[in-house]
Amino acid sequence: MRGRRHLGFVAAVATLLAAAPLATIYERWTWLVQCVIVVALISGAATLARWWRAPVWAQIVSMLGALLFGLTWIFPSGAELLNLIPMPATVQHFGALVTGSAQDMRTYGVPVQDVDSLLFITVLGVGGVAIVVDLLTVTLRRPALAGLPMLAIYSVPVAVHVDSVSAVPFAIGAAGFLWLLAADNVDRVRHFGRRFTGDGRDVDVWEPSPLAAAGRRLAVVGVVVAVALPLAVPGMTSGLLSRIGPGGSGQGNGLSGSGGSPGRVNLFAALSGELTRSEIRDMVKVTTDDPSPFYLRFAVADDMRRTGVATRTPNGMPVTRGMVDPRNTGRTIEGITHHAYQANVEIIDFNMPFLPVYAELVSMSGVDSTWLYDESMQVVFSNRSSSQKRKYSFEYVRAEYTPQALAAAPSLPPEHAMRQLYTEVDQVREVDDLVARLIRGKRTDYDKVRAIFDYFSRDNGFSYSVSTEGGVSGQDIVNFLTTKVGFCQQYAAAMTWLVRAAGIPARVAFGFTNGTNRQENTYTLTNLNLHAWTEVYFTDIGWVPFDPTPAASIPGSARSRSAWAPDVDAPDPVTSAPATGGNPETDASAGPTEDNRPERAVDENLGEITGPVAQRGPTWPLWVAAGALLLVLLLSLPALRRELLRRRRQRRTTAAASAAPTAVGEAPPGVARVLLSDGELARARADAHAAWDEFIDTLVDFRVRVDPTETPRATAERLVADGLTTGPAEEAVRLLGRAEERARYAREPLRQHAPLDDALRAVRRALRSQADRRTRIVAAALPPSVLNRWRSTLMDVSAGVVGRSSRVRDRLLRWNPRRVLASRPSR
Amino acid sequence: MTQQIRDELGGILPSDEFRAATDAIVANIEQVIEGKTATVRLALAVLLAEGHLLIEDVPGVGKTKLAKALARSIDCSVRRIQFTPDLLPSDVTGVSVYNQETHDFEFRPGAVFANLVVGDEINRASPKTQSALLECMEERQVTVDGVTYDLQTPFMVIATQNPIEMEGTYPLPEAQRDRFTARIAMGYPDAGAELAMLDVHTGVDPLQELRPVSDAATVRRLIATVRDVHVADAVKQYAVDLVTATRESPDLRLGASPRATLQLLRTARAVAALEGRDYVLPDDLQALAVPVLAHRVISTADAQLARRTTDAIISDLVHRLPLPHERQRSPYDRPQSRSDNGRSPYEPRRR
Repeated sequence: MRGRRHLGFVAAVATLLAAAPLATIYERWTWLVQCVIVVALISGAATLARWWRAPVWAQIVSMLGALLFGLTWIFPSGAELLNLIPMPATVQHFGALVTGSAQDMRTYGVPVQDVDSLLFITVLGVGGVAIVVDLLTVTLRRPALAGLPMLAIYSVPVAVHVDSVSAVPFAIGAAGFLWLLAADNVDRVRHFGRRFTGDGRDVDVWEPSPLAAAGRRLAVVGVVVAVALPLAVPGMTSGLLSRIGPGGSGQGNGLSGSGGSPGRVNLFAALSGELTRSEIRDMVKVTTDDPSPFYLRFAVADDMRRTGVATRTPNGMPVTRGMVDPRNTGRTIEGITHHAYQANVEIIDFNMPFLPVYAELVSMSGVDSTWLYDESMQVVFSNRSSSQKRKYSFEYVRAEYTPQALAAAPSLPPEHAMRQLYTEVDQVREVDDLVARLIRGKRTDYDKVRAIFDYFSRDNGFSYSVSTEGGVSGQDIVNFLTTKVGFCQQYAAAMTWLVRAAGIPARVAFGFTNGTNRQENTYTLTNLNLHAWTEVYFTDIGWVPFDPTPAASIPGSARSRSAWAPDVDAPDPVTSAPATGGNPETDASAGPTEDNRPERAVDENLGEITGPVAQRGPTWPLWVAAGALLLVLLLSLPALRRELLRRRRQRRTTAAASAAPTAVGEAPPGVARVLLSDGELARARADAHAAWDEFIDTLVDFRVRVDPTETPRATAERLVADGLTTGPAEEAVRLLGRAEERARYAREPLRQHAPLDDALRAVRRALRSQADRRTRIVAAALPPSVLNRWRSTLMDVSAGVVGRSSRVRDRLLRWNPRRVLASRPSR
Repeated sequence: MTQQIRDELGGILPSDEFRAATDAIVANIEQVIEGKTATVRLALAVLLAEGHLLIEDVPGVGKTKLAKALARSIDCSVRRIQFTPDLLPSDVTGVSVYNQETHDFEFRPGAVFANLVVGDEINRASPKTQSALLECMEERQVTVDGVTYDLQTPFMVIATQNPIEMEGTYPLPEAQRDRFTARIAMGYPDAGAELAMLDVHTGVDPLQELRPVSDAATVRRLIATVRDVHVADAVKQYAVDLVTATRESPDLRLGASPRATLQLLRTARAVAALEGRDYVLPDDLQALAVPVLAHRVISTADAQLARRTTDAIISDLVHRLPLPHERQRSPYDRPQSRSDNGRSPYEPRRR
């Protein structure tokens, strides 16, 4: 009975451990507390039922009752009797929670907040698993089957996360499962009676049986392999293969990192990857009744850190529920005009969890409820769908700002949430100095922003080039501000950085310029039209776009058309821009080169990027080559080691042959023994040993039997007798045997002999001619002698480790508290 | 008083003289025993190793002939004892008799007072008589009536026995067998040798015409030379390994004694010297393991039931024992396993 109680407890804890992967879904730990309560209730009910020796069905009923009771208590509908007894209303409430959870599962992206419906479904699921695990383990005694429901829990985060799930929760769950298995089997073995060790003595109660060590080791190795293998092998969504993907042209339909969740796409890497691409392909086709639309935009990056600019996870409601019309905020500000337009978008080849739209969306149609709209970011995103091949239409409002209106906007107070969120930026001394210099004497936000915006001009030495690295980390931006060469993302990131440093909220927006391919009202946008710019927040006005990238280098740039952010490089004096405020016809002021500019820019781009593309585009052959090289290197390690050994021994033997004293004749022993110095003797001995070792290794390599009971002489004779060595090799092998025999057993090693090196070579040649082709190849590529030595070394080391660890464990067992408890005899 | 002083060994012989002397002895014996070079050399090696030889084989293969030929080839005192059931110990060792002229007891040396003692059919004598040889063979001395007499050097007992005939024989006791350095079997001659033998032995017995080619002094110098043969540590280790293996073999009830180790190495020295080497090889030990060790060990009842002779068991051991290498640890000098707080590893910890 006690064993069953113990098992029930282990089953409950193992269920909770198996639920660990759910931690990756939730933002907080409320779910765990609730799960612990419910599982404890279920476990307690089961224990009680067993204590009363209730039949199995009664146990199940009691556990189900405990689950219902726990759920009622945690998720009350308010209609319960005494707040505890579930009533019909409670069941209805539960039904509502379940349907709500189905809806919320589609709505929320990970990590989710504590939503009642999701918590309910989680607790219900974990409680159900707890019941099944308890039944399988304690009642049916089939704990191995209990792994299936546990795995079901693990499959939840796997299904939710698009990319891989961390291995740690899996290891925790696996540990729980192993504990369950071990507890069950320990209980089973206890029933066998007295336990013995392998060497015949009794095992104390507190001591783990050494016979079980193999099982424990197997289990640990199994878990380690299960965790380590997927980490090492490229997976389906992450790993080596996906990283070398974008270079391939065959399925080049998406930006890198496509299909990921919106918070995880590296927009900067995607952007620079597309801009540096040599081929041009159509991505989006947009038709709008707006005579001069601003940029089509799909994402923002608003999380600026020293390591780079990232995108916060977007958050919002389905687009099907409609949006707030920005015109209806109640306030109208002088100098800001809103115009409503309608647009149709057809995505040709653009694979992202975002949909490109024009700013200030009013309504949207043609997409399902998996697409959500983030009000503050003004992006349409999805946690599960992709933008590829979609068609949709939307209405939007385009705002025009006059510089005066912007200048009239008051600064945000420093404690304002918006300001705290969007001015978060690392302090870099060079940047701070620059900002301080630029905004000196400027009072309004707009003046400060304009000062920074105007700084990115040709007069200040800024130029456009996509061939730069394009990094956007803190150091990269400082570099950019120094070199003043870069492309849109660096301009946008740098300006955002500077504006933030000036204390004004700013972020980087991503989208398309209007491009060059315009037919009537339809713009066809290519990968080269991808663009990034800066958006600055003005109090009561909202996000206002500023495009700091030199307009001359961007086909379809809207910079020259915006009155609040005119083209600082334009030949027309900047001061005239406010006068013409909001007139789209300022295009003409850009000069006669306007028409040719886009094509030239594209050509320039192409001309500039052919170099880098040749280096950067096809990276995968490099990877493959590096991998192959590594593989070859690894495979050739044994052969290299063998060759090295041979060289070293050869050096010895040849040196010995040359150093052999020629003047000293073979004096008859007993009459006049020529005494060599000890050093010479020792060296001659070592040389003979080296030659013999090489000879034995050669035998091993060519799969000739090596008998450790054979003397050198017998080995040599056997080779001759077996016909493995004939002709000169016969002499050679005898010489080798004699030399080693003398070196080992005689007073003096053999002197005055033919070089052992030549003998070795002759023997090797003879053996090679006798061996079959496979043996020859193996001997050359993967010499068995080296492999055997490595294997035996490995075995020695591991045996040593095991021995040491068992000694340590024995020592630790002395302090095991169970030893004190085990006063009664072992069962 | 006829007590004799133990003869001093002479100086070491140079290798060519050693070879000439030994080759002469071997060639001389081979005039009588054809086609048995290995056996003859082994017999000579036992002589040079200061050991004793037990020749065991079926009747009529030339056991006695080999013993007598070896004795005749060396110009030294040779005595022969024909062991019979009524032989007395005093016949072997000697006896004190009363001399009426001097009115005193006078020691009359027995048959063992010679350089070479040929004991024919040794297992036919009673154990009482056999045990008379115990002292003289190991200690090379004879004690009669409280007086100890040293024997001459070289001193060698060459005994023959017939393993087939059990009727009226007394098997040698273990202590006695252990004193024989080597036991050799003659074996049947091959067809050619037997043909040649027919020609030679039809006329006069060639044994009668055998002339000594060496003398006791030379043999003493030969012995001194053999003692000088070098034995490397690895070879000593191998000898110890071999003997230990016999003690640990599950097929053997009684393993070889330390005396066996000593005699194994001595014989190996002699064999090495006979082959013209001044160092011993493990090959020598391997070749000598069966002659030197097989007659000293006792196999278990199981092995006997399985018809495994001690010869087979020993040669099996030799084929399985790895060679010690100076760079490699011997399997037998492993540290003893951790004593578990002084308790036997098989004792249960707690009852």
